[in-house]
Amino acid sequence: MSYWKLVSIVTLLFIAVACSSDNGDAPDQPLNDSFNREAMLMNWADNIIVPAYTSFVSKTTELNAATTVFTETPSEENLIALRTIWVSTYIEFQNVSMFEIGKAEEVNFRNRMNIYPTNANKINDFIAEGTFNFSLPSTIDAQGFPALDYMLNGLAETDSEIVAFYTTNENAANYLEYLNALSETIETLSITLLNDWNENFRDSFVSNTSSSASGSVDKLANDYILYYEKALRAGKIGIPAGVFSNDPLPENVEAFYKKDISKSLAQQALTASQNFFNGIYFNSSQQGESFRTYLTFLNSVKNGEDLSGLINAQFETAKTNIEELNVNFVSQIETDNIQMQNTYDELQRNVIFLKVDMLQALDINVDYVDTDGD
Amino acid sequence: MSKYLSLLFFSSVLFISCSSDDDTPPVEDSVEVPLTYSFERDGVSTVSFSGQTTRILMAGELVSAMRNFDTATETSLQNMFAHEEGAQDFSDSDLNTSDKSLRSKTAASFDYFSANTAESTAIKETFENYLTAQINEVFPNENTLAEPGVAGQIADGSSTRYVNAQGLEYNQAFAKSLIGALMADQMLNNYLSEEVLNEADNVSNNNNDITEEGKSYTTMEHKWDEAYGYIYGTSVNPANPNETIGEDDKFLNEYTGQVNRDSDFNTIADEIFEAFKLGRAAIVAKNYDVRDAQAAIIRQKISEVIAVRGIYYLQQAKNKIVAGNQTSAFHALSEAYGFVYSLRFTRNNTTGESFFDSVEVNDLINQLLDDNENGFWSLTPETIDSVSESIAAKFDFTVSQAGSVD
Repeated sequence: MSYWKLVSIVTLLFIAVACSSDNGDAPDQPLNDSFNREAMLMNWADNIIVPAYTSFVSKTTELNAATTVFTETPSEENLIALRTIWVSTYIEFQNVSMFEIGKAEEVNFRNRMNIYPTNANKINDFIAEGTFNFSLPSTIDAQGFPALDYMLNGLAETDSEIVAFYTTNENAANYLEYLNALSETIETLSITLLNDWNENFRDSFVSNTSSSASGSVDKLANDYILYYEKALRAGKIGIPAGVFSNDPLPENVEAFYKKDISKSLAQQALTASQNFFNGIYFNSSQQGESFRTYLTFLNSVKNGEDLSGLINAQFETAKTNIEELNVNFVSQIETDNIQMQNTYDELQRNVIFLKVDMLQALDINVDYVDTDGD
Repeated sequence: MSKYLSLLFFSSVLFISCSSDDDTPPVEDSVEVPLTYSFERDGVSTVSFSGQTTRILMAGELVSAMRNFDTATETSLQNMFAHEEGAQDFSDSDLNTSDKSLRSKTAASFDYFSANTAESTAIKETFENYLTAQINEVFPNENTLAEPGVAGQIADGSSTRYVNAQGLEYNQAFAKSLIGALMADQMLNNYLSEEVLNEADNVSNNNNDITEEGKSYTTMEHKWDEAYGYIYGTSVNPANPNETIGEDDKFLNEYTGQVNRDSDFNTIADEIFEAFKLGRAAIVAKNYDVRDAQAAIIRQKISEVIAVRGIYYLQQAKNKIVAGNQTSAFHALSEAYGFVYSLRFTRNNTTGESFFDSVEVNDLINQLLDDNENGFWSLTPETIDSVSESIAAKFDFTVSQAGSVD
């Protein structure tokens, strides 16, 4: 090949690249389909989201009541009872964490409920000083379920030693106050969210059927996938397994101090995610309109296969993987981290199906990006 | 003129494409271009830009000190900005012993500011005011929830940001404005300036290989390297800096890398580096036309980095506001604010002046902040789009190309 031929081919290639990227940025045409988006929004609101919040709120009320019982009478028995309710409330939280929309987004709900690892030093400082303000964003790593984890499971090795922090410790009164404030804040915030859904947000959510960045379907689809990608795939599995760091980070396991519920929390989160994809009613096997029925309506296929079938099969594969993990992810990471990483990989495969293939099929733009870290 | 430039630009791109297939060094107008930014005289490297590395590191320490609530004071921040040799202003002792300072090179290029002292002084004061205001307005409200008219904290995902009463993060405004006022201004309007490169006996010294006393480089070579240092001064491998472009600082290097990640601009890092390399080789070959043509490419592309990144943050912020979360847009808006301010220091090869003069830049930043009651708290998507369009109108790319990375 002569030099000039090579030059002209290179030039053509260069021009071709330049042109194709221009075409790729042509504005998207709005999806013009007749799928009943309002019916899907109603199913989401009335059969899934509001029932899940209602159930969660009643758990937070139990949690707060059990906290009051313990702080009035700090005993090992009351500690064990409180811990049991903390576990069941934390598991129920996994059903609502993905719905970061409306008031939840406004109050930064997921961050105020479940930032882990919790900052034990900060908690100790707040207790020592006796002053703190949970509405400040800088305190998100000192409140919520992970802070309760530290207060109920992480202060000492044995229950009697833990109870001593609330009885004989020189700062016992501050420990009691802090514990009460944690449970109260969880309940208060959760009630605020549920009330907003019941009083205002449900109707505006359901009627906002537009196919645009501000429409309810686009927004919740983004919230759902962001949750799946960042909070579930990365937070519960990938980060502790060391996928994003040089070494595994077992201290970043959810419920680090309790340890033996990390698998249950991840399983509940994955089940809730799959159920939402399929439009399954909260605490029921009934199904309504959903991402699954929307994709079926659009006949969405990938490589000749039904996309919603692929997504459900991938959910099942990931569930099987998690099933095989130790109930205690800290032990799992220390004994066989490869299994954690394999689980991450299976969860990641559905990020592609959901975030790329499903959103393309539904003509929804991703509204979040990785921040550049400064 | 611009046709001539784009011809040059294309021919240099073609050379890059071909050079990797070829073992003989590429030659352009008798200029030998090395594969990396490595130049020697009598077996000794002639490349030097330690002063630029020092200033990038100083800027990094100063910007993070703006959030040291427990230790920073107005005096400590101002001293870091206007460092004097030997003063213990930084944690890095090499910076303390240096005689360099950030302030002396802020809005201090030959072309724009040597006879424009009033504006230069006003710009330096803007930076000083950010430092003072951070201490006097934001620090007292460290543990206050921000609201319209009240400085304090806002949540940005799981990060906490600290904003003034208008929603602006002074540390972001400072850092992103410095990309223009220090790095780009020194590079485009000082060290790549014909006036500076050709100053005094520079041309005849370079033609006769007369080096600076005790140094291996000619003055002209060194000036070019000093321009180079403002983008690659903290690179892991400064001779081949695109290996880690985007990861080596929080200033021009980072954002050149970020812009290059967008498929609409994914040749920009190569174009900038190749122009630096060819221009430096042209100085060795005493071919000043090729040198100046490369300076023109760098001026255009660095200007584009600033404009693209400004629009990118504006559009990211707009998306958050449209989605109903005003405060979550403040961080991106604060970064955008600094990039828009930095437009003042860009360089349009056609006019020889900035793409935006100070009146235009002040108008744009006022639209973002000061024209609204409570600043970012009441900024609308329409205004953001209008500012974005005003910026894109001066370039060959669209708001939508710059507005997202894909």
